[in-house]
Amino acid sequence: MPIIDMKKVYLLGHRQEREKVFSLLQHKGSVEMVDVKSGESWSEMESLLEPDQPDEAVSGLDEKLGEIRYCIDFLQRNFPMKKTFVQQFTGAKVELSAERYNDYIDRLDKTKTIYEECRRAEDELARIRNEETQCYNLIAELEPWVTLDVPIEQAKEGSFASMGLYQIPVDNLPELQGALDDKLPAHYLEVFSTGTDIACFFFACVKAEFSTAQELFKENTVTAVSFPELTGTPSQNIDSMQKKLDSLAEEREAVLNEVEGFLEHRPMLMACHDYMDNELKKHEAVMNLARTDNSFLLEGWVPEPVLADLETTMAEETDTAILVSRNPEPHEDVPVLLHNRGPADAYEVVTLLYSTPKKNELDPTPYLAPFFLIFFGICLSDAGYGLILTLLAIFVSRKLRLSGMGKQLMKLLYLGGFSAAVFGILFGGYFGDLFNLPPLWFNPLDDPMTMLIYCFAIGLVQIYFGLGLQAYRNIKAGKPLDALFDQGFWFIFLNGLIMLLLPGLALVGQGLAVGGGAGLILTQGRTQQGIIKKFMSGLLSLYNITGYLSDVLSYSRLLALGLATGVIAMAINAIGELVYGSIIGIVVMVVILAGGHLFNVVISSLTSYVHTSRLQYVEFFGKFFEGGGKSFRPFRVQTNYIDVTEREEA
Amino acid sequence: MNGIEIALLGAALAVGLAGIGSAVGVGIVGQSASGLVTEDPDKFGQTLLLQALPGTQGIYGLLTGFLIMQDIGIVGEEALLDLTVAQGYGVFMAAMPIAIVGLLSGIYQGRVSAAAVGLVAKRPEELGKGIVYSVMVETYAVLALLASILILFGLDLPT
Repeated sequence: MPIIDMKKVYLLGHRQEREKVFSLLQHKGSVEMVDVKSGESWSEMESLLEPDQPDEAVSGLDEKLGEIRYCIDFLQRNFPMKKTFVQQFTGAKVELSAERYNDYIDRLDKTKTIYEECRRAEDELARIRNEETQCYNLIAELEPWVTLDVPIEQAKEGSFASMGLYQIPVDNLPELQGALDDKLPAHYLEVFSTGTDIACFFFACVKAEFSTAQELFKENTVTAVSFPELTGTPSQNIDSMQKKLDSLAEEREAVLNEVEGFLEHRPMLMACHDYMDNELKKHEAVMNLARTDNSFLLEGWVPEPVLADLETTMAEETDTAILVSRNPEPHEDVPVLLHNRGPADAYEVVTLLYSTPKKNELDPTPYLAPFFLIFFGICLSDAGYGLILTLLAIFVSRKLRLSGMGKQLMKLLYLGGFSAAVFGILFGGYFGDLFNLPPLWFNPLDDPMTMLIYCFAIGLVQIYFGLGLQAYRNIKAGKPLDALFDQGFWFIFLNGLIMLLLPGLALVGQGLAVGGGAGLILTQGRTQQGIIKKFMSGLLSLYNITGYLSDVLSYSRLLALGLATGVIAMAINAIGELVYGSIIGIVVMVVILAGGHLFNVVISSLTSYVHTSRLQYVEFFGKFFEGGGKSFRPFRVQTNYIDVTEREEA
Repeated sequence: MNGIEIALLGAALAVGLAGIGSAVGVGIVGQSASGLVTEDPDKFGQTLLLQALPGTQGIYGLLTGFLIMQDIGIVGEEALLDLTVAQGYGVFMAAMPIAIVGLLSGIYQGRVSAAAVGLVAKRPEELGKGIVYSVMVETYAVLALLASILILFGLDLPT
């Protein structure tokens, strides 16, 4: 049974055991909770029960979780854990043994100190960054004055003379110099640096004449520059700033070293994060419950096969919890869980990428599985490539602990590799024409028309199969006439048309086509009102023949992709052959062959996978499958960072 | 132009035009993918997959070009064929389906894939659906490739 039967369960327990029951449920991961308040019986129970609220512990847990998350993020910012290319698809979880995981959880209190340390380190880093910016700014301001030998604090008004540092727009400088020469015979002006628009200069004059100079300054938009908190010459100051920067860099290094020391706690933080996260979820799940003063009521869905196990667990582990179950009512929104046995299990990923089946709908997985296997093989159709793909899939599954869809996808590729190898042997593809081995059956490259016919034939088989499944659904739903009208007549009509093309069967074909066509015209308008409308929609329905035609033609891609794999391989071999000769040539040839064929394996497997999927989604599913169901999402332990494994660490 | 030159022009167009289509398509996806990866570097793998999709047109074009070159003896051990002008045009016509469809479908597939990058940004678990949308466009490049190959194999070239 590919779609698992679901049971509605109600769990009634004593309030004191709520925690315990929830831990058990989360650990089992077999119940999808339903909000009691959304149930239909709520209106009857409303006067007796009240919705449960999460307790105060939640805010505490939330805060704690926030702290741990902060630590992990902080460490990630400073010492990122990079994901490899494969991990970007599969996720990278740290593996921990159950023992070690528990050990980490026992040290949960330690996260507080780590959090404080991290906070302090981050504040420290921020301070260092601030001071560095200040230094850099000051250096930038002092840079123009670097050749000034006078200590900055002396460049001010004295008893007899006025001295100072000034800035002026470059364009105004000659004018100012001219005016000063005219009006102030006894002055000293030295330009230190001339930028693109601002020039910096030192100015000194007799104190009594300074007001005249100020007048001129104002006219030429001169601004005074002052460094009130500095002493010593600019270059001394820059030196000391540099020294300060160096020491700041050392400080940063020290802080980062300290932070690096925290890295050893990272696995613990991750374990604690996942633990707290699940604790929090457990507490939040309470919102689905209803309660009285001393009891609580939980409503949910449980897959039928695990129900007995859950019942025994509840009976054994708790004193008060009572589990009642019933079959779902027809109108209830039952979640769907797929379960296919054997190799078909791998193809669930194909179905789920399209849509979860609706409740009561057929799970298409076991039906598409053989077609997917064959089509994938025809598209890749190379014994060498199939072998490589299978080995790659084994390697990746061994290397990464995959689960769910990732695991299914690897299994699908593993099986697809075998299929490709079989078709490679049939069609004579061994890394293209590298070994020049003869095909066991025939080579589609020599006889593409034959192969095209086979592709159409196999496509037609799948389309008929889809029609058959829809007919089966109709009959099961108690509408055998629909099955005859909508699928049966099409089947007769299409077969008739095909026979028309075959010499010898033309007469039979004529009869079938006319009969089937007439049947369609008479029945396809049966939902319409009035005899004319009925007839017209019946007649128009024959236009759907174009749909069937294009569906069948769409299977020509099997031939095209099969040829593409082979011809790309041939091209790689031909390029390899070009450089063959000397020792260097042989080395280059091996590199070209290895790289080229690996590229072809990847790109051809990708196109084979996506085009095979498309044939299922558009051509096959279109005949009988709707989808749009709700997946079963049980309340369970979910981890972000950690994978707890049963096996002991080496 | 003699027959061989016309045939070669066909091969050049198949490789060139389909290659342009793929280059533009892959380029469009790369641009939007870079935008996403600045925000979320971990999406590199998924977006790279989407970027690879419009690249197949170029491969189909190269494949057709290679078949033509092999048929007329440019590559391989056999000697250069002595094609008539009519035969040259036959080979040229064989190259046209994948040249034209490869050019345009590569660009449009690039746009669909670029939109799928946006899909992956918000719902990474729906990558499969984005790929399927993109592959709907590629169907026509595959059909064009098929037409090119069938024409080429159907031609009556001297051996």
